[in-house]
Amino acid sequence: MSDNLEIPRTNAKVSDPARERSLNFLERIYLPEIFRGMWYTLKQMFQPKFTMLYPEERFEPPAIFRGRPVLVEDEGQERCVACGLCARACPPLAISMQASENSDDPKERYPNFFEINMLRCIYCGYCEEVCPEEAIVMSKDYDLVFESREEAVYDKSKLLVRKEELKDRLEYLREYKNRQFGQFWNFDEENNIHSVRNRDKRWETSLSLVEMIEEQRKQDKQTELMRD
Amino acid sequence: MTQVKQKGPEVTLTPPEDAGNGLKTQEMVINMGPQHPSTHGVLRMELTLDGEIVTKAVPHIGYLHRCFEKHCEAMNDYTKVIPYVDRMDYVAAMNNELGYAIAMERLMGIQVNDRVEYIRVIMAELQRIASHLLALGTFGLDIGAFTPFLYCFIEREKVLDIFEKASGARLLYNYIWIGGLMNDVPADFKSDTAAFVTSFRPKIKELNDLLSYNKIFVERTANVGVLPEKVAINYGISGPSLRGSGVKWDLRRDDPYSIYDRFEFDVIVGKGEVGTLGDCWDRYIVRVWEMEESLKIIEQALDQMPGEGDVQESVPKKIRPPAGEIYCRTETPRGELGYYIISDKSTTPFRIKARAPSFVNLSVLPAISVGSMVADMVAIIGSIDIVLGEVDR
Repeated sequence: MSDNLEIPRTNAKVSDPARERSLNFLERIYLPEIFRGMWYTLKQMFQPKFTMLYPEERFEPPAIFRGRPVLVEDEGQERCVACGLCARACPPLAISMQASENSDDPKERYPNFFEINMLRCIYCGYCEEVCPEEAIVMSKDYDLVFESREEAVYDKSKLLVRKEELKDRLEYLREYKNRQFGQFWNFDEENNIHSVRNRDKRWETSLSLVEMIEEQRKQDKQTELMRD
Repeated sequence: MTQVKQKGPEVTLTPPEDAGNGLKTQEMVINMGPQHPSTHGVLRMELTLDGEIVTKAVPHIGYLHRCFEKHCEAMNDYTKVIPYVDRMDYVAAMNNELGYAIAMERLMGIQVNDRVEYIRVIMAELQRIASHLLALGTFGLDIGAFTPFLYCFIEREKVLDIFEKASGARLLYNYIWIGGLMNDVPADFKSDTAAFVTSFRPKIKELNDLLSYNKIFVERTANVGVLPEKVAINYGISGPSLRGSGVKWDLRRDDPYSIYDRFEFDVIVGKGEVGTLGDCWDRYIVRVWEMEESLKIIEQALDQMPGEGDVQESVPKKIRPPAGEIYCRTETPRGELGYYIISDKSTTPFRIKARAPSFVNLSVLPAISVGSMVADMVAIIGSIDIVLGEVDR
């Protein structure tokens, strides 16, 4: 390779005028081209308008749209059991929470605080994907405004949304998501409360989980003895 | 005295000291960018000017550096890399995801079913059209043609609507997962896409009428920023910029990944139709006709797409690839996107390196811009179609 490749072959000083397309008479008088352009513009004027007058007219996203993640409020309280899966699945580490226990409530566990830093959130939807309780879902909100960084950290008061308002999304999730696991486990309202106590009506006592397992073992032994 | 050696007549640029009227001139260094609207993001060009002629151009990058590789290593799961992959080339996120998914599948030995493959190919080609539309529109905008930009964006918007219905996002989809897709396409996906294909065909002709053969546009782009074939290959250019120089190289044809070997399509190359082979106009027109080829692929894929199939059939529950490494390359709208992944048998990637086409394509800029006017720099940057998110990663 003998030619020096670093050097450009043509530049502003040598353009090749021989290859230039010469204009014919009609093109030189310029008017037909102007009218062609005007005709195109005129045609476009009667096309349906494509844009939207945003603050007055709002875009209504479909159910599949991934907007701001929210916590589902079911009968006055959050569905969340503070298992921490969403925080673990979150790629930009936007979610933080602290679990707390309440033995009076059949759900037993709830998040003491639950915060999503909306400056970090990338709307990937992984939190919703991993949530075993359908407690965190993506809503349709897409225009978030904050005036400070502190304001951008959404706590439970901002995150909780009643499940009636999220009907679209919850229905979509039931229909499309988790098809793979759907054949083994169907999400339904009764399974929502993940407490071991509620699974089996017999166990509606105020025992702790460890005590319950011990209870179970005792019962198993008894049945074995009975069988013998 | 600056001398530029030509193959044809030897051109001597005016020496800076002698401007003819006794006044002394000197070379001037100016910064183009990082806030310049035609740098497509945050690129700073350090231009050394002799009058209005560029004698040296040095691109400075890194304003959008987000530590992609370190981020990947910090993630405790391979799936968590996908949202970050989206954010590299943010106008062609589907193609980035596709490349990553294919690399991981090859590393893990996963076979995905046909429905997934077809949906992926359709998505990737739609994304290619959307990306090219943005590239062409903004290229015209840089040069001063505002109208085609808006028409291009209308068409791009229609593609984004299709994506939104399928994935729930308009720009950063997180749709193509390792071993499958996030969810199946909606029931009206096929009809929507077919409707788009039929409505888009005449728009290419419209774009050609409005912009491609426009006298002013041709004057601005023909014979400007000529990238000869050998230079392009030496610099490792890929994608439409390489094909604009007349090199018939397309990974979809030459190293077929996914199911690209099942489709009939042409590889568009530049021919030097209105100027020199490899000028800005050639790179532009390659993108225009590539959209037509993408439409062909989409049509064939829609015909062959199986109606049944679980899109999450082969999504692994826990992604733990065998120890090893892989380099996998795919053709994105900008060129060859390669992922080099090293796995140490854990759930965390040991290293992920992305060979970003924009970064490599940008490196040729100093070589092709010497000797051009400062106003032509805008055309040259626009024609190599870089996305700074991918250059800096």
